[in-house]
Amino acid sequence: MNTHFPGEDYIGKVEIFFHFDPLLALVTILASRTVFLSFIFASLTLILTFVMGRVVCGWVCPLGSIHQFFSFLFKKSRLLRPKKAKDNHTVWKYYLLAILLVCSLLTLDLVGILDPLSLLYRSFTISILPSLDYSFNAFLNLLYKIKLSSFGDNLVQFFKTLAINPIFHQGFFIGIIFISLVLLNVVRERFWCRFLCPLGAFLGICARWNVLKLRIDEKKCIECGLCNLHCETQANPFPEDEWRSPECVYCFTCSSLCPTSAISFPMKSGPEEIQKINFSRRRLILTSLLGVIATPFFRLSPGARRASPRLIRPPGALSESTFLQKCVKCGQCMKVCPTNALQPALGEAGAEGIWTPILVPKIGYCEYYCSLCSQVCPTGAIQELTVEQKLQTKIGTAWVDKNRCIPYNLGTPCIVCEEHCPTSPKAIKLVETAVKTPEGSIKTPKAPHVDQKICIGCGICENKCPVVDSPAIYVTSVGESRSEQNQMLLDLLIEEEIQ
Amino acid sequence: MKRRDFLKEIAIGSLMMKFNPSLLKSEKNSPDLSLVQGESPSEITKEAVALLGGMTRFVSRGDVVLIKPNIGWDRTPEQGACTNPAVVSTLVELCLNSGAKEVKVLDNTINPPQKTYARSGIAEAAQKAGAKVLFANPHRLRKMAIGGEWLKEWEVFTDFVEADKLINVPVAKTHSLSRVTLGMKNWLGAIGGKRNQLHQNLDPAMIDLAAFFNPCLTVLDAYRILVRNGPQGGRLSDTQLFKKVVAGVDYVAVDSMGATFFGIRPEELRYLELAKQKGLGENNLEKLKIEEKKV
Repeated sequence: MNTHFPGEDYIGKVEIFFHFDPLLALVTILASRTVFLSFIFASLTLILTFVMGRVVCGWVCPLGSIHQFFSFLFKKSRLLRPKKAKDNHTVWKYYLLAILLVCSLLTLDLVGILDPLSLLYRSFTISILPSLDYSFNAFLNLLYKIKLSSFGDNLVQFFKTLAINPIFHQGFFIGIIFISLVLLNVVRERFWCRFLCPLGAFLGICARWNVLKLRIDEKKCIECGLCNLHCETQANPFPEDEWRSPECVYCFTCSSLCPTSAISFPMKSGPEEIQKINFSRRRLILTSLLGVIATPFFRLSPGARRASPRLIRPPGALSESTFLQKCVKCGQCMKVCPTNALQPALGEAGAEGIWTPILVPKIGYCEYYCSLCSQVCPTGAIQELTVEQKLQTKIGTAWVDKNRCIPYNLGTPCIVCEEHCPTSPKAIKLVETAVKTPEGSIKTPKAPHVDQKICIGCGICENKCPVVDSPAIYVTSVGESRSEQNQMLLDLLIEEEIQ
Repeated sequence: MKRRDFLKEIAIGSLMMKFNPSLLKSEKNSPDLSLVQGESPSEITKEAVALLGGMTRFVSRGDVVLIKPNIGWDRTPEQGACTNPAVVSTLVELCLNSGAKEVKVLDNTINPPQKTYARSGIAEAAQKAGAKVLFANPHRLRKMAIGGEWLKEWEVFTDFVEADKLINVPVAKTHSLSRVTLGMKNWLGAIGGKRNQLHQNLDPAMIDLAAFFNPCLTVLDAYRILVRNGPQGGRLSDTQLFKKVVAGVDYVAVDSMGATFFGIRPEELRYLELAKQKGLGENNLEKLKIEEKKV
């Protein structure tokens, strides 16, 4: 929640929570073949899991908490009726993990789609918080209608400091996905955690040698089966030697439910009979093969040959192929952007680039003295920039559409784009241009002219242009500093220093 | 009967003096414009208001005052795109000392207000001086009859209309369309709606808005003026330390004086001429009583 403009240019390490996620760490390291040092914190999570099993799933993971809470609600309202678990579907998540890892070995980074932290944060940024913002505003409208204005005023002033970005492409789509995942808890308790979560799978593999063991006191056990019925993650506490420690998240439901308090979790190390994860080797190989076969299908889009004009990336973004290896689609940049400019891509960056950030000038522009997105990116896909470095970074170039621009067509003055251009000297110059008006007379209004050498592609011109449906000045990606290919001007001609 | 009438007159007279002491103040002797130069922006502001008769001439006890600075752009005070924070905070102090019940500071900014209010230094300075600094609240927008010759109705923030007294505190800058942006242009920050369309007929829009808001006092901050790349600026070389402040009741006169700071004669500016024709003020500096001072 703290990821918004903090009142000054530099925000603290709000993205640090992501650095503890070992799945993100592993996949981005494999996919990009580089080690991002901040992920050293992930080793702490791994050590904790080696020693104590999947306690992170049970006690730390925020998505796990949400699923646990809703499962509890559904149980209490009788929507969810726990059944005796006869299936072995808990193995699905290990197959998903295998696919993710195989793809990352082939440099395809798909972890962001399924990683619980990315999924949670992205869903909140793009759909949950904007929905709350919408509802809150509707409530405020009501308050003002019934003349409770001063109460409304105080609420508004407070709410503006939270700076929630309210507008997102695919807000509906991503919201539906998230709500569906939560509703799956009606089918089975903690559906996501037990069947789908690849991080849970990864931690489960690491948990096999942990020292926190489940023990059932045979003298007290009455074999009622309540522990198995209510085990949140299908870890099968009873009988003791069939307890699956890779699934156990140490929620302690079984021990608190047990009518004779027969279950306990003592710490014991030493050689023990460890319960293997029940997957078939053949299935695993086939799933991995699926990952291998699927990878090339993600790489068929023209992006490798020719840049897409509307694919405008945040300032500091690495060159496209490296960017896609590192971006985990977490949505932090989209949340922190002060003008709501960063939006999740759908097809603009190919299948591989779904939900990666692109700048949409019609919604928001890149604030001149801002490098917040680069500061909050947890994997360095957007390389951290100081504000000074950001001023030198070009993300695109603006173009005047003379067919739509008011001075060129009507002879009426406008100058809004030039007025808002933040560079000094301005990248938009006003030139008195003789134009023929529709009535047939000649007028000489001041008309805009973009200096492509100076323009940094921030998009404020497109954002503020009064031709609201399809602005008469618009930004395309050509000229972006991060790309060697996507250039149009001969380097030798560029002598001017942009301030 | 005579005694009763006499007592009635005394009663009315004392009530008038109690609730509106400025009635007694002779406004005949105060100048039309005060122009003060000096090193400290707060000192020259204080002096400029004092030369007009002091803030008590404008603000009465119990007034809700709304001070409208220019907080439009995400720029530091050194870049000269927004009003100098010391000028704003000084005016806040003066209003509170004159007995104002509440002093609000508000602007409908261009860049996100969370950024501009912070980087311009105005929010901090005004809050320290005791003002209530508010973000523009879109729920408080209401379509109002502007009653202008060209501009008939527009969406206005009700804060500006509900306040007892309005003080306009613009910063002097160049502008690519109107050539200068001074007091009358500053009212574009008090309205909502599609402001970016007003540039298609900017001069009539400016005078209609200025006539609608009709501030009780205009204080033009010319301490650091923007002479290039206005109204946003960017490089420090775009600014010029001018170290002056102009104050006056006649906003046309203030803008006329402000134009001269950029080497422009008031007669050259169409919007000032239009305003004069409409009877909103005087654009001929020679006809005005200007008191200058150096502190």
